Amino acid sequence: MSAIAAKAGADAGAFQPVPSIIALVLAIIVIAVGFVLGVGQTLCLIVLGAALIAFGVHFVPVGGAPAAMGQAPGIATGVPMLAAGAGLAGLFGGAWAAELGLAVALAGGAIGGALMMAITCLMVNMSYVFGMGIPPASGKIEKDPLTGYTQPEFKSQGTEGHGLPFISYVGGVIGGLLGGLGGTLIYLELLAFYEAVMPAADAVGLAGILAVAMFLVIAVLAAYNITGTIEGPHDPKFKRFPRAIIAAILASALCGILALLLMVLA
Amino acid sequence: MSVKVEASHGGIPHGKIAAAGIIIALVSLYIAVIGHEVLGFDYFAFFGGIAAIGALIWGNSAIKRLCSYGIGAGVPSAGMLAFGSGLFGMFLGIAIGAMTSVWIIPVAVLVIALITGVILGWIANTVLNMKIPVMIQSLAELAAVGALTTLGLRTVAIGGLELEAGFVFVAVGFIAVAFMLGAIALQHPFNACLGPGETQDRTNMLVIECGFLSMIIMAVISFVAVSAVAGWISLIIAIIGWAVSYKKYIALSKRDAAAWLDAKPFVDAEEE
Amino acid sequence: MQEIIIGIGVTALAGALAAVAGAAEDTESNIGSQGDPNSQVQLAPQMGYTHRIYNKAVSGEPPAYTLWVTLACGVAWAFLMMGMNAILAIVLGTVLATIVQGVYATTAYLGRTASLSKFGQPVFTDVLKSVTTVTMGHAFVAIFTTVVICYLLATVIGHPFSLPLLGIVWGLALGAAGSATGNPYYGKERQYQNQKFGAGVPISASGNIVRYAEAGQRSSIDNGFFTAKFGGPASGLCFGLIVFFELWRTVLFEHYLAGWGAVIAGAVIIIIFMVIDRYVEKWARENYGPYTEA
Repeated sequence: MSAIAAKAGADAGAFQPVPSIIALVLAIIVIAVGFVLGVGQTLCLIVLGAALIAFGVHFVPVGGAPAAMGQAPGIATGVPMLAAGAGLAGLFGGAWAAELGLAVALAGGAIGGALMMAITCLMVNMSYVFGMGIPPASGKIEKDPLTGYTQPEFKSQGTEGHGLPFISYVGGVIGGLLGGLGGTLIYLELLAFYEAVMPAADAVGLAGILAVAMFLVIAVLAAYNITGTIEGPHDPKFKRFPRAIIAAILASALCGILALLLMVLA
Repeated sequence: MSVKVEASHGGIPHGKIAAAGIIIALVSLYIAVIGHEVLGFDYFAFFGGIAAIGALIWGNSAIKRLCSYGIGAGVPSAGMLAFGSGLFGMFLGIAIGAMTSVWIIPVAVLVIALITGVILGWIANTVLNMKIPVMIQSLAELAAVGALTTLGLRTVAIGGLELEAGFVFVAVGFIAVAFMLGAIALQHPFNACLGPGETQDRTNMLVIECGFLSMIIMAVISFVAVSAVAGWISLIIAIIGWAVSYKKYIALSKRDAAAWLDAKPFVDAEEE
Repeated sequence: MQEIIIGIGVTALAGALAAVAGAAEDTESNIGSQGDPNSQVQLAPQMGYTHRIYNKAVSGEPPAYTLWVTLACGVAWAFLMMGMNAILAIVLGTVLATIVQGVYATTAYLGRTASLSKFGQPVFTDVLKSVTTVTMGHAFVAIFTTVVICYLLATVIGHPFSLPLLGIVWGLALGAAGSATGNPYYGKERQYQNQKFGAGVPISASGNIVRYAEAGQRSSIDNGFFTAKFGGPASGLCFGLIVFFELWRTVLFEHYLAGWGAVIAGAVIIIIFMVIDRYVEKWARENYGPYTEA
């Protein structure tokens, strides 16, 4: 799937202050328009949900094609798809608990996403340890910040590391948590908004598919920010997350206002 | 070490393909509208599928242009981004059409999706510092393609473009099927024909084949919402279209392949 | 009480079906060589290693499986709305999805291999004919079980989402779980069986995949028996646990503490898995020891 040579560039990860400020200003304008139209609070919460998703994607350890051969740490799948998988599993749980109240539904969504990542990351480690005889090791740090385990001597020769050291595991769980939380928040806000103007079954379907669409957009934008692979929160690439959050704020404000403009049906 | 994205250069320029794609898509959608509004039947539902194919041809060229620059993520992600962003434009365009008139829907969908894509492209290029020359234009085109393809596939399933019939479509989630069909169909031709020997006519034939395949599925689903005659028309046209394009695609692959062997071993360079 | 008993029954059934789905999905994607390990199958001819592996480049597994499952759910739902019997509807939906999957697989193989003509990689029509039907068979099992899970969730348990939308959710989760667990096993253990066991593949060895079997040149059909030894069951366990615990914590504990019971149960399960993972990592480090200079 990831058959693309990553663009190299010394400043590929640098923060761009001017465009970021422009983006934030544009987002504020869109949200102001939302307030004028009477949907401001919903729009703000949608933006918050998107920011959480974008932030969460950076926690998930993804190794891409090299990880599939034990050459790089992380999970051997693409970034947006893994994040979307966890987020949507969380969204499933959150949607199920929707009638029990906002807080419970959000918590349910977050836990759902975290649970999926916890199980997936455990089975990944089982695959490496018991199926391939390879201990987890990171290529980017000397010591695991959470366990204190040293990494370099457990890294096989000629590779960048493999498996999921504990910090990557925890990163994955946190990523699933934030993704599930953000996705559920977007879904619940859209649902509450649509239920006021159309029958319940239509509202659920529309809110559901738009939440999925927005989730995919934000996850792909965050993946573009990461440019390919990331080991988890300890990876230097993790520090790029502010860019992704700002990008997500504007993208979701735009898509959100488009989704909420459907109220013209009312 | 991973594979470089390579594709052919030359061939029909992107501008011409984009123009052809837009024209096919819009004309087909309007024929479907004419059929439904003016002539009063839904037998032209299959024109939605033709519209989707036109849009996909446009989108395939756009993806090829974008991904040749090495965007650091996979090709399928571009398809997901296209359809995710296009979906909002599609819904809003349909809603606007419900308030004003059905005739405005295709153009409204196209314009709103283009604007969405431009902004997303600007975000990706400047805020995320991807700095790819064709990014803004490509993401705008991809969003428009996503919106038009989903609109076209939805038309196959419900017979027209307007809103009331459409909410059956949403409520039972068929739009989810159209969404995924289109998202995979958009990125598959370029992804599958990737390599130094990629030829434009073969890739375009694959686009047509994927489009008809998606149309077959939407035609099967359409039996719920359209009249039986219209459903059968869509289904038969889709199956014939798919069979023809699939055969042609295999013939083109045979033309381009290094060798076409049946149960023969390969000969290694090092083998004695 | 009755509701909980039915819920538990569905949970158990869904968990079992999910385990089968995960195993079938990983086996299918390994036989067809899909996903991240496929980059090596694509790379090998460019490094001079011609092969007879099926180059099924249909995006990665998560989006592909999302499509197959959603499409099967959609067609099944359409048939259900037309009054067809539920099982027949699901079977027909799955059949259509499997045919679509097979078509995509063939076009991917032909497309990629024809584009590698510069490196002399031939198209092997016998590989096309023999492997495609095998992948379709496994895909049928994976898609069918997942659609049944979605159907149970939609009709028996009463989840608000419609069937195709559930198809997107669980298709994506299936693809992600199967891909994450099974890809490294296939990529390292089978594709690079000629490398040393117990270490990752060095970057210098890229492209030098295993192309010969016990007797003659292998195609990827034998990835089936290979995956069935570890990768398949592991992926099945992964997806099965995901579905099972997601449903179990909700069905059993949702009524306690106004819904917070399910959340707390989920958090406890996550912590238990975290502890298990810590133990696995510790075990690996103690038993395998660090890499020493050879």
